[in-house]
Amino acid sequence: MKKFVLLCFLATSTLLAQMEKPIEMPYVEYPMIKGDHDEVAQQYCLICHSWGYILNQGKKSRPYWNGTVQKMVNEFKAPIPKEDQQTIIDYLVKHYGYEAKAGQSGH
Amino acid sequence: MKHLNRRHFLGAGLLLGASTLLGKPLPDKPIAIPEEYKPPIIAFPEKKPMVTISDRPPLLKSARGRDIYTQAITPNDEFFVRWHLPDIPTHIDLKEFRLEVNGAVTTPLSLSIDDLKTTFDPVEITAVMQCGGNSRKYYAVTGQATHGVQWDHGAMGCAVWKGVRLKDILTRAGLKESAQWIGLNGLEKPAMEETPDFFREMALKEALEEQIIVAYGMNGEDLPYLNGFPIRLVIPGHFADSWVKMLSNIMVMDSYRNSFFMDVAYTVPDNDCECVVSGSDFEYKRKPIASMKVKSVIGYPSEESVIKKGSRIKISGVAFDQGKGIKEVMISLDSGKSWSAAKLGHDLGKYAFRMWSYEWETKTKGNYTIMARAINRIGNIQPMADEIGWNAGGYQYNGVDSVSVKIV
Ligand code: HEC
Repeated sequence: MKKFVLLCFLATSTLLAQMEKPIEMPYVEYPMIKGDHDEVAQQYCLICHSWGYILNQGKKSRPYWNGTVQKMVNEFKAPIPKEDQQTIIDYLVKHYGYEAKAGQSGH
Repeated sequence: MKHLNRRHFLGAGLLLGASTLLGKPLPDKPIAIPEEYKPPIIAFPEKKPMVTISDRPPLLKSARGRDIYTQAITPNDEFFVRWHLPDIPTHIDLKEFRLEVNGAVTTPLSLSIDDLKTTFDPVEITAVMQCGGNSRKYYAVTGQATHGVQWDHGAMGCAVWKGVRLKDILTRAGLKESAQWIGLNGLEKPAMEETPDFFREMALKEALEEQIIVAYGMNGEDLPYLNGFPIRLVIPGHFADSWVKMLSNIMVMDSYRNSFFMDVAYTVPDNDCECVVSGSDFEYKRKPIASMKVKSVIGYPSEESVIKKGSRIKISGVAFDQGKGIKEVMISLDSGKSWSAAKLGHDLGKYAFRMWSYEWETKTKGNYTIMARAINRIGNIQPMADEIGWNAGGYQYNGVDSVSVKIV
């Protein structure tokens, strides 16, 4: 019995990744600012990736957020109705961005 | 943070949605996002605690910041992680797993990991893996911010990769005369069927180059799960976007197939500077990023280092290029006015990190900006940060790195 346990131990320690069981992925709850219809952003923006993607961008201009949401819809086929897209853009600009000053472009 | 045990990362999305909508109440007062938001530092399977930009799909970088670049080989448990799509199996059964090689070949292959390890010649190569978007956030320092994940220098590392030559696999399958391209696919899948698959392509001529391997080993161990276990492609000298993880299919094709991740993502303007000269980036004919650009990154000191007057410090870091080899690294201690040569460390091969160091005796108190600038053997030199050509995707940043320190 003792020997058996030891063998198992060796087997798992040498073949690091060859785990018998599925890996356990930590789960992170990235904070989302409440208000201004955050529930719409929650409904659509967490389907394909975490909110960490949004936080990582830092504060961004309206044209930038507009461009990002368009990219999600057009390139990645995010199923977001037009009016909800606008709600999300407004929410992002208010809490994760700023209105672009004159002369600033979308990037 | 909770630990969930589930087969696919995708499950997390649904759970996350559910838990934020139904379960935990969100705080009443809005949480102020600090100007410089700091992601959590969390240990993922086989990894030390790492900066977790996203958990799903996982985007991780070393918690040591610049310090990770004071060594030529990046440890597996601190090596950066970058997936694109959330549906990744959380278990690979090696008895079942096969690499399928099909399409325009005379003998389609279905190879187990054991087949790869025992029936092909093993090869080892030390090579830098760098995300095409590494250092992207620095474009915003001198020009416009770009879309994409706002990486600092954390999306790169150097490892000793062990595996099988791609050429040997293709030769065993037998290429038909019509064969022109190969298509590469891994087990990472989108959450929605309509989202484009992470499909990569390479011209066959390029795919047959000696140095390209299908790797099962990294720094003497199995590939870590999150770095693409059980196999990934390694294309020394190239950006990592085609180093497909959990590689499951190599399809030999007669012609190029259009796809989002080849034609739109990871592309730059198809001109000499690979940058926007005027107008909008997307008015340009595009080309996929491929060869890396000569680059050096300072490992020590960092902005946080406390340096005393009268001390002798060793400024150090790494340099690399597309595989021509580093010729020289120049250091400036006065914001780029004057430059002196750093001492180069051991040569671990033309695709590896080349360590460099420079001794500095700090005689006077004050603020200093340290810069490092690499030149390779064919004379490619890093542009100064304010002279770098800009592209909207924020790819292939290689502006001269700088660190501002205070001598106290
Ligand atoms: C249908 C899937 C899908 C949905 C829904 C979706 N995204 Fe994305 N998103 C993606 C994919 C795919 C990427 C690129 C992933 C990668 O490269 O890691 C991405 C990347 C991003 C990025 C990274 C920066 C960039 O420009 O690539 C941001 C920010 C982002 N999404 C924001 C959002 C927001 C805001 C929403 C809600 C309006 C949203 N996403 C909804 C699929 C989606």
